[in-house]
Amino acid sequence: MNENRRQILEMLAAGKITADEAERLLTAIEPGSAPAQGESIGRAGSSSGASGETVGPPKSRSKYLRVLVQADESMSGIKGGTTVNVRVPLQFLRAGVRLASLIPAQAHGQLDEAFTKHGVPITLSQIKPENLEELIDHLDDLTVDVDGNDGKTVKVKVFCE
Amino acid sequence: MTPNLAVLEIRAPHWHMPRLWLPLFLLWIPVILLSPLILLVFVGAGIAFRTNPWRAIAVFWQMLCTLPGTDVRVTADGTHVFVKIL
Repeated sequence: MNENRRQILEMLAAGKITADEAERLLTAIEPGSAPAQGESIGRAGSSSGASGETVGPPKSRSKYLRVLVQADESMSGIKGGTTVNVRVPLQFLRAGVRLASLIPAQAHGQLDEAFTKHGVPITLSQIKPENLEELIDHLDDLTVDVDGNDGKTVKVKVFCE
Repeated sequence: MTPNLAVLEIRAPHWHMPRLWLPLFLLWIPVILLSPLILLVFVGAGIAFRTNPWRAIAVFWQMLCTLPGTDVRVTADGTHVFVKIL
């Protein structure tokens, strides 16, 4: 149990705060609470620390983005199938997002229009490094199955490690 | 840290290239020699595209420094390609 949580519970036990106030305080400290010795914060989407359980490292500690693509022979049309395994440092992606800020303002409109035309409705000027952090935090273990015409699928796995 | 080495390996069913360790740090020699020209290119491009050339240099430098750790493995048609940047 971390120090903040202990203090809140002690205040509740001493009658200094009500149960409702304690609940609000516990909820408030939950996302940013520092882990105590031997305890770690859970991954995004999993329960964190409330029951004292020790779970995996937080996403912010992830260093790499791994993309695995597995296509069998029938899907890729290549004998023996195709396997792609790419590991990219997350710092490289963060720097890449900053690259978008170098695109001249007058080109943003044209790029947004081209993206929308090709089925990717995004606004380039709104992509910020913070968005990438948010994406990484929520990227637990994404698997995309791309269906082919004959019922075969290509598996695309994306995760941070 | 900037990339110092690149490892390249290509394996085909009937042909096998020995793993190559490419000394990327040696590229610093031509880069340093050509640095005035590279700087001019960045400044020229910055003026042409109305972007801050110093910011562009900073972003490219950041991208260069974050390249180590990149690992690409592709297997298709019995051919295996492996690229790693250290």
